[in-house]
Amino acid sequence: MLPTPEITDIDYDKVYEPAEDSFLLLDCFEEEKEYLQKRFTSSVPIVTEIGAGSGIVTTFLQRNILQKSIFMCTDVNPHACTTILNTVKTNNVKTGEEKIPYIVDSFQMDRTTAIRSQSIDVLVFNPPYVPAEDVPKIPTTYDDSTWLDLALLGGEDGMVTTWKVLDNLDQILSTNKGVAYILFCARNKPDSVADKMKSRGWDVKTIIHRKAGWEVLSVLRFTRI
Amino acid sequence: MKFITTNFVKCAIKGCQSSTEAFPLKYEDCQLAQEEQEYNPEFIAHMLERLNWPAIIQVAKDLGNESLPPTKPESLDPIMEDDQAVLRDLHTLLLETQIVEGRMICRNCEHVYHIKNSIPNFLLPPHLC
Repeated sequence: MLPTPEITDIDYDKVYEPAEDSFLLLDCFEEEKEYLQKRFTSSVPIVTEIGAGSGIVTTFLQRNILQKSIFMCTDVNPHACTTILNTVKTNNVKTGEEKIPYIVDSFQMDRTTAIRSQSIDVLVFNPPYVPAEDVPKIPTTYDDSTWLDLALLGGEDGMVTTWKVLDNLDQILSTNKGVAYILFCARNKPDSVADKMKSRGWDVKTIIHRKAGWEVLSVLRFTRI
Repeated sequence: MKFITTNFVKCAIKGCQSSTEAFPLKYEDCQLAQEEQEYNPEFIAHMLERLNWPAIIQVAKDLGNESLPPTKPESLDPIMEDDQAVLRDLHTLLLETQIVEGRMICRNCEHVYHIKNSIPNFLLPPHLC
């Protein structure tokens, strides 16, 4: 089993605390290790996690799966942006054996709106998937107490933010090797999402599926056919 | 923000999506810092394939560095001594140079984005979303 990144000194009133969904993504990438390493064996991929939060998933990928990559993480939450960099740093203490640089930047950004079109090779997204009346507004001050709500509440079917990504997927992912991993809960109706994306010309595969407490979670992989 | 990631970000405003002026952004009043990274020549050589070289030159110029070759160094071999020097320089510039504070400006719409504590802020005010 691959080591889980060390997560320290995080204020969980402001940044999403790693939970079952985060750990499902780690297990998903443990299963996908060979697939991803084969896919990017001779190139340096651009890896972007949207809403990287504590940074646990990005750090896991950078340490264990795609060591030779350029990571560009986004989060709308400024507290998360700082935390991501701290988590990466904590987990990249020099051992003297490794000669691989760690290239991880974090951007305060809505989804991938400021990343160049069709440049992301691996997209990872654990969205705000909880169904709610509305998607919360982005706070205007640093000390606002509602930053965390943005990590959870996803509007109708919990899918409002996820659809913004899926509707743009062709513009987001690089054309020859682009692949996206997106997490869903049962209330997001992942089967009908998969059908809709297949009809638009995407290959969709469920990589992992798990009952976690009262939620049923799955990670779907999207690639061009 | 590492120098290398300037090669992958553009203006976030929808209207600038199709503009060739929205990339690279213009970098102004930047404070730089060097942060040591492990040197891996193969990584640099592979990474070069991904880069838009004219944009690298442009941003380097914004930051006061005009010493880059006008065309992208191709097929560098980490075993050759001459290539070693080039790879070392690229390592220092692209991976170790951090933009800690500064401003990024879109050459198309002139929107200004800020970099603070190495983190660029690309959030837009509601009327521009």
